[in-house]
Amino acid sequence: MTDSLEQQKPVNIKAQLKNCRSKEETFKTLVTLSKTQPRLCAEDKTEDNKVKGCESAVWLIIVEKDGLRHFKADSDAKLMRGVLVAILSLVEGKTLADIQQMDLRAELAELNLSSYLTSSRNNGVLAILKKVKS
Amino acid sequence: MAFDPSSLRHLFPILAQSAYDHPLTYLDNAATTQKPLPVLDAIQDYYRNFNANVHRGAHFLSDRATNRFEQAREIVASFINAPEQSHVIWTKGATEAINTVAFGLEHILESGDEILITSLEHHANLVPWQQLAFRTGARLRILPLTSNGEWEPEFSHYFTDRTRIFAATQISNAIGASTPLQTMLDHAKQQGAFTLVDGAQAVAHYPVDVQTLNCDFYVFSGHKMYGPTGIGVLYGKSHALEVLMPYQTGGEMVRHVSYQATEFNVLPYRLEAGTPHIEGVIGLATACDFLNAQDRLALLAWEQSLAAHAYARLHKEGSIEIYSPEKNTTLVSLSVPNIHLLDLNTYLDSQGVAVRAGSHCAHPLMAQLGVAGTLRASFACYNTMEEANRFCDVLLDAIDLLNDE
Repeated sequence: MTDSLEQQKPVNIKAQLKNCRSKEETFKTLVTLSKTQPRLCAEDKTEDNKVKGCESAVWLIIVEKDGLRHFKADSDAKLMRGVLVAILSLVEGKTLADIQQMDLRAELAELNLSSYLTSSRNNGVLAILKKVKS
Repeated sequence: MAFDPSSLRHLFPILAQSAYDHPLTYLDNAATTQKPLPVLDAIQDYYRNFNANVHRGAHFLSDRATNRFEQAREIVASFINAPEQSHVIWTKGATEAINTVAFGLEHILESGDEILITSLEHHANLVPWQQLAFRTGARLRILPLTSNGEWEPEFSHYFTDRTRIFAATQISNAIGASTPLQTMLDHAKQQGAFTLVDGAQAVAHYPVDVQTLNCDFYVFSGHKMYGPTGIGVLYGKSHALEVLMPYQTGGEMVRHVSYQATEFNVLPYRLEAGTPHIEGVIGLATACDFLNAQDRLALLAWEQSLAAHAYARLHKEGSIEIYSPEKNTTLVSLSVPNIHLLDLNTYLDSQGVAVRAGSHCAHPLMAQLGVAGTLRASFACYNTMEEANRFCDVLLDAIDLLNDE
């Protein structure tokens, strides 16, 4: 299991998103963050790894090691890759019990990502959060 | 250009707002249009001044409501040039109107009969026929576009002596292309088929004359033509409406009921079970009045000029694939290879530009085009040339931002 977040520190990711003053800045930050995420190889992009309910294709792989959860993820949409970087920065390397206690929606709202959580967008971020906690 | 959208834009105060500190640029009109003040006022006037159930109580308010309700039927009948107001059936929208026909004609179909539709159909004009075919053993046939997006020069062979129903859209919601409707309807008539036209994307833009079209059924939704949501129309010729078995039964649609039997009411009431959407009916008639008061061909020419302008600007960019026609359409439908539609849509939204990205309820058509979906900017009479340019500018910015690999 490679640590997909080796290159960036979660603190920086949070700060970058928190400092965005407009939807446009958030968009540009997500595009930048999307480039920090290593892409999944074709063998990892299986139906089993797909998160159901996303309009864009999203794959999320969870590996437990020594009681800690590690994540790899990818999407065919660039913004979704950025959102995944943000979500995983919150949960990477934690125990399942710790993750389950987190209010991820509130934490993402603090990062100016509320509009990515509305069900009308049908983009499946809620489905990703559910899988992260399952 | 003879038409100036500022002559009526003030009737749509919703458009004057900002979205995320940018001027709201509403280009999702093929999904639903905004509603002019007279429509909003008519709905409020109904509830403030003459709300009552129609066709029932003999009292002051009920008489007023019933009069306005039936007057609305006259206005809508005249809007599409239906010969009689009893040919206008109120429905929830185009979808319910098509379902009313698909269920109502079930009893005329036999195994091996054919239902013919085109490859441009919205799911609303596809799934009801497919399910009808499943229930009856009839065969659903598709009159396709060729791979370069043209109709086959000779498509008459799709119409056979087994064709019992032919249903076609007037204009594609997904790519804005028109069907050669009159020719198709003539072929269908020669085979004695029932014909249905889905006018959902046409009524806001084109003057409609159901007698010239000579179709058996014509359906549309109010909310795509400046009227309220939840109201639509099923127009039918008398003999065609008479053939339909009511697919909903209950109050209003009956003349006499006993425990043993029910005698159905006459048209149009026979096909309108339950208390109708009175405010919707009144709002829709007001939307017809609004359109009737305009120079409709000037509006159409304006809307087409906006779409043609956007087409011309975006066509120059090698990176954009456009699926809508170059001219004579009121929308632009496109995709950008290697950039996800949702990414484009999200950037446009961040700049206050409202468009639609997705499959537009037309999965088989998207499959034929070889795309998962398209980005669609659809224009209405209140849109300005600045808005058409803003859409192009912001889209090109989005492509620059996202196209770095």
